[in-house]
Amino acid sequence: MEEFYRKLADILEVPEVKPADVMGGFAEWDSLSILSVIAWLSSDYEIHLHASELWEISTAQNLQDLVVERRGQRR
Amino acid sequence: MLKTQPILYTLITGASSGIGRSTAVRLSRERNLILHGRNLERLQETLQMCSNPERHAIWEFDLRNPGEVEGSLAPLLAAHGRSVEAFVHCAGMVTVLPMRSVDYRTAQEIMNVNFFAAAEIVRVLLKKKVNAQRLTNILFISSIWSRFGARAHGAYCASKAALDGLMRALAVELAPSIRVNSILPGAIRTSMAAQGFADLSIVEKLEHDYPMGTGLPDDIANAIEFVLSGKARWLTGQQIVVDGGRTVNMSLK
Repeated sequence: MEEFYRKLADILEVPEVKPADVMGGFAEWDSLSILSVIAWLSSDYEIHLHASELWEISTAQNLQDLVVERRGQRR
Repeated sequence: MLKTQPILYTLITGASSGIGRSTAVRLSRERNLILHGRNLERLQETLQMCSNPERHAIWEFDLRNPGEVEGSLAPLLAAHGRSVEAFVHCAGMVTVLPMRSVDYRTAQEIMNVNFFAAAEIVRVLLKKKVNAQRLTNILFISSIWSRFGARAHGAYCASKAALDGLMRALAVELAPSIRVNSILPGAIRTSMAAQGFADLSIVEKLEHDYPMGTGLPDDIANAIEFVLSGKARWLTGQQIVVDGGRTVNMSLK
């Protein structure tokens, strides 16, 4: 899961993302970053999220939980 | 000694789904087809949906490797004495990514499928020893986004603009023997666009922006059939917009 947060940090152009970090607190958490996240999750985790779902995410941990939940639903 | 008449084919890339599949089914009524795609199983499905399936051929090939087009397509034509009279480039890929996330590999992939593959197929079909100067019609399926900007679609917009630029140059270079045109669809309900159509906020916006609603693959297949036909004899070098009125809609509400 370290890779998950490393990739998220990459998209948000910050040195580090921790699970408790609030997504809205990142300067780069905007509609364009959300598109990058959607493409990343689709490519690496084969799940498809809508922008509206991502806007509702509070923390980085919430995002990870959502990814795990959706992957579980696929199986 | 009687000279055997060549059997003429229409080559459709991206025939395994969406616009390419609809076009194949439509044109199969009157033409011999070469159905191109990456996925053999889906190509076989398209073949079975066509009229007279025994008259058509399949070309399984990944357009992400345009440098290998000639090595794959030329033998396919030579093996069965086939010639291509019309080429319709329906294959395409779209990746929704902000520019800062579009690395060179991603951009290259989009350009390869949407533009370089089309250019390479044209080049091969223009070679006398491959196609005996039988090509008379080239049609690129571009997009309304070749003329406009869209957030996170930089590489896609660029690839379609490149395709239309090539179209115009070829229309001039290859006239009068070969007509070359582009069709620019608006939003069409295909598997490529499925993710977008699954998002209710996008669907709502589309309903607002498209005076005639979103399109279907058959709407484009109809236009393709006309442009390839003798009824379009004098039509070349054109971007033909088929978009339900989207690009003329400046309504605020």
